[in-house]
Amino acid sequence: MNVLTKAVAAAMLGTVAFATPSLAETPPNQLVVGFSMSNILTLDPAAITGKETVQVLANIYEGLVSLDPVNRSQANPQLAESWTISEDSSKITFQMRAGAQFASGNPVTAEDVVWSFKRLMKLNLAQASFLKTHGFSAANADASFTTPDPSTIVVTLPKKVDPQIIVLTLGIVGPGSVLDSKTVLANETNGDMGSAWLTTHSAGSGPFVLQDWKSNERVLLNRNDAHWGKEAGMRRIIMRHLPESQSQRLMLEKGDIDIAFSMSAADLTALQTNKEVVVQSIPGSGFYYLAVSMKDEKFNKPKVREALRYLIDYEGLNATVLPFFGKPHDRPIQTGLLGVLPDAGYKLDVEKAKALLAEAGYPEGFATTLRALSDAPFLNLATAIQASLAQGGIKAEVITGSGDQIYGAMRERKFELIVGRGGGGQLPHPDSNLRAIAYNPNNADDAKLTNFQGWRTSFYDEKLNKMIDDALIETDTKRQATRYGEIQTYYADMMPSIQPFSEVVDSVASRADIKGLALNPSWSTDLSTITKAR
Amino acid sequence: MTHERVYAGVRQVATILVTLFGLLVLTFCIGRLMPVDPVRAIIGEEADAATYRMVAERLGMDKPVYEQFLRYLGDILTGNFGVSIRTGQSVINDIAHVMPATIELATFAIICGAGLGIPLGILAAVRRNRLTDHVIRVVTLLGHSMPIFWIGMIGLIVFYATLGLVGGGGRMSDYNIGLVPETTGFLLIDAALAGDRDVFHDAVNHLVLPASILGYSSMAYITRMTRSFMLDQLNQEYVVTARVKGLSNSRTIWYHAFANIRVQLVTIVALAYGSLLEGAVLIETVFSWPGFGQYMTNNMLVGDMNAVMTCVLIVGIIFICLNLLSDLLYKVFDPRTR
Repeated sequence: MNVLTKAVAAAMLGTVAFATPSLAETPPNQLVVGFSMSNILTLDPAAITGKETVQVLANIYEGLVSLDPVNRSQANPQLAESWTISEDSSKITFQMRAGAQFASGNPVTAEDVVWSFKRLMKLNLAQASFLKTHGFSAANADASFTTPDPSTIVVTLPKKVDPQIIVLTLGIVGPGSVLDSKTVLANETNGDMGSAWLTTHSAGSGPFVLQDWKSNERVLLNRNDAHWGKEAGMRRIIMRHLPESQSQRLMLEKGDIDIAFSMSAADLTALQTNKEVVVQSIPGSGFYYLAVSMKDEKFNKPKVREALRYLIDYEGLNATVLPFFGKPHDRPIQTGLLGVLPDAGYKLDVEKAKALLAEAGYPEGFATTLRALSDAPFLNLATAIQASLAQGGIKAEVITGSGDQIYGAMRERKFELIVGRGGGGQLPHPDSNLRAIAYNPNNADDAKLTNFQGWRTSFYDEKLNKMIDDALIETDTKRQATRYGEIQTYYADMMPSIQPFSEVVDSVASRADIKGLALNPSWSTDLSTITKAR
Repeated sequence: MTHERVYAGVRQVATILVTLFGLLVLTFCIGRLMPVDPVRAIIGEEADAATYRMVAERLGMDKPVYEQFLRYLGDILTGNFGVSIRTGQSVINDIAHVMPATIELATFAIICGAGLGIPLGILAAVRRNRLTDHVIRVVTLLGHSMPIFWIGMIGLIVFYATLGLVGGGGRMSDYNIGLVPETTGFLLIDAALAGDRDVFHDAVNHLVLPASILGYSSMAYITRMTRSFMLDQLNQEYVVTARVKGLSNSRTIWYHAFANIRVQLVTIVALAYGSLLEGAVLIETVFSWPGFGQYMTNNMLVGDMNAVMTCVLIVGIIFICLNLLSDLLYKVFDPRTR
């Protein structure tokens, strides 16, 4: 048996012998970023969904304007040097920056800009909804986007809205991204306006150019040497698909990646004591909320909805479940946006909730269902809310599942309670929040207005709709702020179907030697400003 | 005799085709029953009903289910496996990209698993109820019962983060990405073909941990099965006879007992290899390994049926090929089956 024992030992040694010390430091002129890329389905700016894709494209494409990373309501010049708004607020005229060129070497022209916007509307994919909301469509795109001379673009508003919201929309990665029309059209197949080609290629003027995208593996960006602006600090950006938070943490600690974009609260907490790693948090987009379906007889009663408001442990949820991902907020407009009121300061008040339930005819409470995504932090939120509802006598059975199971039920208007996240906000304007969370132009089932959460929850108030519409066409900023204040007060008084308890925060961990990382809300962080202090 | 062979061949081909068709029908039904909406995955949460209808029409999702299935069948009969919703690429190209990564991982794992598992199983059987046997049984029990996901994380913490002996996630370090042309897709082979020692060494460094962990899991199964098969043989009278005749212990074990379990071992090793090829998704996730298991799972989660059905078809073909291979090896090892 000695032979056999030796054979086993030799096999084991042979296996171990493969293991040799490995290098663990990213190159000084290359940035390695880790996050989950499972949601990246295409790199065509007109068709993207999900913030992960925005993080990639934010470094490849530019818009006429860009959104300021600190003052969220401010648009900064990018491909447009300046812009003016006509006196009647019906037109916005942009003057192009001279000397800008695409990565292909083609000059960025007003024609490219207008072609990009028309393409967006004609393809009518995910990103078109930003402009469709304000009356733009494939039918009116030719009239809405014109170029009277090679350096001027005129955007004619199809309906009366605050022109500032259109300027801000054109600063969002996706609807505002400007494409190299010559390059894209050279790769057009079957009249798809280059959509198939753009899935895996880029045609932008940003500081980086796409070298390679391997789905669920990596995205490689090379510095665009033709970029008109300041040269990017890194020669190459390597974005790696790292679906596991703990893998991101280990690789960040080890120095194998420089920035980790999608880590769990537990791993971010653990990293706070590591001096070689810095954790930053910035305001994100939207809210965490508890939503009810007003189709449900119980939740159609304002007293029941008011009772629910007092059965949410606002402080507890934010302190225990949402560190790094949310901060207390109970208004339907995000912090930092025009007209947002200070929080109403709702608190868990079980006795008050019980009294309200009794008034509504439910002195013993009732049984219901509470839907939540099975991912963090939704399951923990649902469990905590289930416990606080139980204190008031509401026995909520938690139903968990994937996005289609949970939000699908909401889209079908077949649910009772949902703990969710949403409410616009990628566009830094109060209208974006209100239109997503409170507006509902048609409450009929067959209207299928699934993009309005007001419709999904069967929440309809004609006066509120009008207030939101009126506020948007108000051109005087002070008066507009007052109107948004009035809307929030009215919304709170009418016991809405969606009660925010927290606003979204994005948290990112990076190596301490990374300098110049200015996080931008909605994952549109410009990585060209980054350098390494080594 | 020739007719019998032809008949057997035709029957085997028919069985394979029916199996593959059944697999496709089953997968299509499961895909349609799953509460996953590929249209929503494409257009996002905020898109309106008109956009939804437009994309549904483009994907053919507005057609009746049977029509969608028949259209898919027609396409694959002409060699068109469609385009993946999730990647926008031809499904066959996608699979050609991810499959080599998995084959590399699974092959290394099965070499570890079978290379260690078979000798350990024999050792445990020969030293039944002695310390060696107990130790081997505990080690294999752990390998069989501990979640592979957890072993992967612990492995990363110990061997990568703490000891720095191996590479972390992915198939190679970032500074090596793009240095070697993707000739075959098998990174070790491509690096060897390019003559790039650094990339080859780096690729081995990244492969060794996930493959060893997968190998450990396979080893646990193979060891337990080998031990069981060997114990059966060691209790047979011919083994006693061989010993009585004065044959050495090692000769009795290797030339007589082991020779009789080779056929069974071929089957379990082939099945273990097949499972590794399609079922390494957890390890692929932990190690950010861009392989077939992860590709299939991610597509399943967004309802990308073109990709999922092609993956299922490939898994079916892999198992059929492995079965054919083990049938062939049966004939080599067992003259009675010729």
